[in-house]
Amino acid sequence: MLDLAHISAFAELRSIGDGRGVIARERRGIAIATVMARKGQGAALAAAVKEQFDVNLPLGPHGSGSDATSFLGTGPGRWLVTHDAGTPRFVDSLAQQLDGLASVVDQSDSVGLLRLTGPALLDVLAKGVAIDLGATAFPAGSVAVTQIAHMGVTLWKVDEAPTFHIAAARSMAGSFLHWLEASAALAGLAVE
Amino acid sequence: MSTSYRLASGGLIDRSRPVSFTFDGKTYGGYAGDTLASALLANDMMLVGRSFKYHRPRGIFSAGPEEPNALVTLRSGARAEPNTKATTVELFDGLDASSQNCWPSPHFDLRAVHQLAGPLLNAGFYYKTFMWPAAFWEKFYEPAIRASAGLGALSALDDPDTYEKAHAFCDLLVIGAGPAGLAAALSAGRAGARVILAEEDFVLGGRLLSDTTQIDDVSAASWAAVAEAELAMMPHVRILKRTAVFGAYDGEYGAIERVSDHLPVPPPFMPRQRLWKIVAKQCVLAAGAQERPLVFPGNDRPGIMLASALRTYANRFGVSPGQRIAIFTTSDDGWRSASDLQKAGAEIAVVIDARAEVAPDVRKLAGNALQFLGAHVSDTSGYRRLTNITITDSAGQTRSVAVDTLGVSGGWSPSIGIATHLGGKGNWSEEKSAFLCSDMPPGMQIAGAAAAQWTLADALEHGALAGAKAASHVGLGLQTQKPIVASDEASGNNPVWLFKGSRRKAFVDLQNDVTATDVALAAQEGFRSVEQLKRYTTLGMATDQGKTSNVNGLAILAGEIKKTIAETGATRARPPHVPVAIGAFAGLHTARHFKPTRLTASHAASAAANTTFVEAGQWMRAQWFNAPGETDWLQSVTREVKAVRSGVGICDVSTLGKIALCGSDVGTFLDRVYINTFSTLPVGKVRYGVMLREDGFVMDDGTTARLSTDHYVMTTTTVNAGKVMQHLEYCHQVLWPELDVQMVSVTEQWAQYAVAGPKSRDLLRALLGDAFDVSNEAFPYLACGEFHVGNIPLRLFRVSFSGELAYEIAAPAGHGESLFNALMQAGKAFDVTPYGTEALSVMRIEKGHVAGSELNGQTVARDLGLGRMMSVKKDYIGRTMAAREALIDPDQPTLVGLRPVDRSQRLRNGALLFARGVTPAPDTNAGFITSTAFSPGHNHWIGLGLLARGPERHGEIIRAWDPVRSGDYELEVIDPVFIDAEGARLRA
Repeated sequence: MLDLAHISAFAELRSIGDGRGVIARERRGIAIATVMARKGQGAALAAAVKEQFDVNLPLGPHGSGSDATSFLGTGPGRWLVTHDAGTPRFVDSLAQQLDGLASVVDQSDSVGLLRLTGPALLDVLAKGVAIDLGATAFPAGSVAVTQIAHMGVTLWKVDEAPTFHIAAARSMAGSFLHWLEASAALAGLAVE
Repeated sequence: MSTSYRLASGGLIDRSRPVSFTFDGKTYGGYAGDTLASALLANDMMLVGRSFKYHRPRGIFSAGPEEPNALVTLRSGARAEPNTKATTVELFDGLDASSQNCWPSPHFDLRAVHQLAGPLLNAGFYYKTFMWPAAFWEKFYEPAIRASAGLGALSALDDPDTYEKAHAFCDLLVIGAGPAGLAAALSAGRAGARVILAEEDFVLGGRLLSDTTQIDDVSAASWAAVAEAELAMMPHVRILKRTAVFGAYDGEYGAIERVSDHLPVPPPFMPRQRLWKIVAKQCVLAAGAQERPLVFPGNDRPGIMLASALRTYANRFGVSPGQRIAIFTTSDDGWRSASDLQKAGAEIAVVIDARAEVAPDVRKLAGNALQFLGAHVSDTSGYRRLTNITITDSAGQTRSVAVDTLGVSGGWSPSIGIATHLGGKGNWSEEKSAFLCSDMPPGMQIAGAAAAQWTLADALEHGALAGAKAASHVGLGLQTQKPIVASDEASGNNPVWLFKGSRRKAFVDLQNDVTATDVALAAQEGFRSVEQLKRYTTLGMATDQGKTSNVNGLAILAGEIKKTIAETGATRARPPHVPVAIGAFAGLHTARHFKPTRLTASHAASAAANTTFVEAGQWMRAQWFNAPGETDWLQSVTREVKAVRSGVGICDVSTLGKIALCGSDVGTFLDRVYINTFSTLPVGKVRYGVMLREDGFVMDDGTTARLSTDHYVMTTTTVNAGKVMQHLEYCHQVLWPELDVQMVSVTEQWAQYAVAGPKSRDLLRALLGDAFDVSNEAFPYLACGEFHVGNIPLRLFRVSFSGELAYEIAAPAGHGESLFNALMQAGKAFDVTPYGTEALSVMRIEKGHVAGSELNGQTVARDLGLGRMMSVKKDYIGRTMAAREALIDPDQPTLVGLRPVDRSQRLRNGALLFARGVTPAPDTNAGFITSTAFSPGHNHWIGLGLLARGPERHGEIIRAWDPVRSGDYELEVIDPVFIDAEGARLRA
């Protein structure tokens, strides 16, 4: 049978510089889907998500969910759903669960996902992100669809450590790493 | 033997840390905490350069960023930085600087002969002097002027350093960390505000570092250090030293941080400079003020300096710039300088004040120095250093006094430039003798000397108040502040703009060599507005932007045109307030990182196969694959085309835009955006579509597949992917929000490969086995399907751009490289050939498919031979406008095929088309060649073109005229489909 190995988007992620100013890890094997409410089905969708995932569907730029499945608000009637539990064909089953309420499109391979933390992280992100990521303006749970070094990214703050998850276009992973390395090397980029 | 001008004690330099540096190749010593200027002065190096136009000897004039004279080239080789102000350069061990605009040295400069031509070099001289003979201007005069003009020279080598950009957000941005700025930052910081305190200098304190005043019973400099320590402890306060705010923009400020300019070479990974974009809710501009020089004959000799700068060198750097000093002032502040210099141990020979009356307690400041009131300096002498001044006293008597240094003090000009960047303008205050700004950008306050609050006590009080106000504006409570107790000093001033005396030049702008006579000449010749004066005389247009000269210049102009200073007004300040390296604006985005690069899943595998890539927007695409022995691109491309036409080839087409469209109304939606009908498209089928702009011209084309009842996937051209997505979002969100349509880009999700050629089905059958039936019966032309191999979803489309039996197979991008390799592996048995965009292009031209060269924004569907696709049964975007008279005119150039009458003739894109026998001219032009290719099948060049009445002219011989490339040949007009016109191969 046809055997198609998978290559992760950030396979080239590497440590650079001395120190652990930023600690990075690629989140691999995550199922990702864009979920878009069907016309007039917003409330029903929220109810279904509450019932089936016990998640309050966020109505703004916030994320909510469990460790396994998170719903991130990325636009009006639009969410990025990430699933970290390795369920085979998760996106297909999500589409069935939300059938008639939302259109579900697989994006698992469209982005690479990084988990970033470390004492210098906010200073490093400030070299790319043009929005205020401080605790007051962007508390844990906040989501932003923005750009870094002319590349579209979705980022969300997991905790105030701070820890961020960042999704960047797969085809631009090399350019994204160039930005990350150049920006974080002085404080040290450590890959776990 | 040079003298040391370093005082035995005092100053804020660290005498335990000696530093060695070189200037013009000679080694000198200084201390940590020195600037290059203070260290040069300590080593008796007053003369450091030559003036711009006359090459007159010039010395260090100021102690800060307003410096007009002491411009040096810092470092050498690729890191050489010309026009650096020695007064702002932080001394470091190993610093290497050199003088500029002089040859061979500042002490002996051959170009000083320019001074002999002085009478000819007045304002606007180049408009007047070099009029004849006219031909000489371009050949001789201009090159000669250019050769002798300019200051330092660029290295012309690549910049070895890196730059970066950063964003910051705060409640309050405080610009300047002098007394007002520190007080503002303290009161806002104590109230809990997020504060950014930006200071251009490498030490906080501003004038506090230069004065001997007391605050809260400690020295001003100590108070600044305590304030800094308190601010540093506040977690919500960020102190940016070596950071100059250079501009106010809408809601944000630009600042440049000199991160490693004070180090010999930036350490690994450290940028040289960092460009900050600061978003601040409130701003306190506490940029201080600059002392104004006085304009009098012979006022530019080395040794003549701002009086406050002399004070700075003594108090902050422990340097007395001269041995015998005179002070010439119109202000009380000049007397303070005299006092401080005396206290530091310098000899003050004489104080000359233009005012007839000076308060006794002010006069006391001069100690036992000779005093002249109502007097002025009317002449000076000394070539490389001041030796004598001539004083004209109140009775008109003159006398000469031997001094080597003259401090001049004409009052202070508030630094309000940044406050006027958004359109505000300074207003002249007679009371303060200064331009003040009252219409600041939203959220900005001005405090301290920048608001003409001249005394230390005033500056501290107003600074603290401004900080507290800013904190309350962002919703923090007004906190009672412990008052800061400071000494109050005299600050009277009565400016005199021009002193008469000898016939020597009286300079207004030292850097651009503009004299009082030049200003008068400009006024006389009708340049009576300050903006005209500036441009005609170049006053204030040098690298210092006239920080010490603008006010004097316009005041002298006001006198000439008999107007008040308020009526005359000031020139407009524009960002940047200080020069900013272009590299800082580029940041990381240089060379190949100029823009992000997008790589397809097969990139690594293709690169390993010796592939030449081409940029397509941000994407890198394989252009052709270089096989062993091939030396020419055409060789490679021809091989690839032949291989596809006779066997099977693989091409990465992942870069095409892919948009998922979902919902129950997608059919309706597509009917409205495409010219042809899609609501009738069955599940499992693909259709080619063309969409128009609202003005009726073709926007893009591509195929849309219906994967299931409510799920379609549209493809766009690579370059238009973003534009089409934006267009569709607009159509849905603004025009037809009632439709149940959801859309999202899936370009990144899928790696997609064209598998083309008569053996493509065999290859796919070998690859997929039982996983999917690719027979013609089960999967005919324009079919599409989704299936899984294991848990991996795959998509197959039977579409063809090449005109051959062809498929496109897609896998999630993470599996894309494996799929490419699997296709190559399965294709071995069929001698599979990877092909690039050039072969793709050759084959689409042979097939008569239009692409970017034809979809050029100036063609309608009819021009492209697609007129019959335009549905008459429905409305769609662009339908009405496409029916405009000119767009349906048969004379409109229309798609044709072209082949050379002489089959050996090469065709080139862009050649113009004419009827045979017609003289080429704009009004006889009938079209042009849009695309050309060497057709391996026909063994000659072919082309597509847009030709007036094209379809009627098949068989006609026309003329191609290509004057740019000396081409003039005959073409036969034929059908644009060069191969398989009936489409048998597609459906095989």
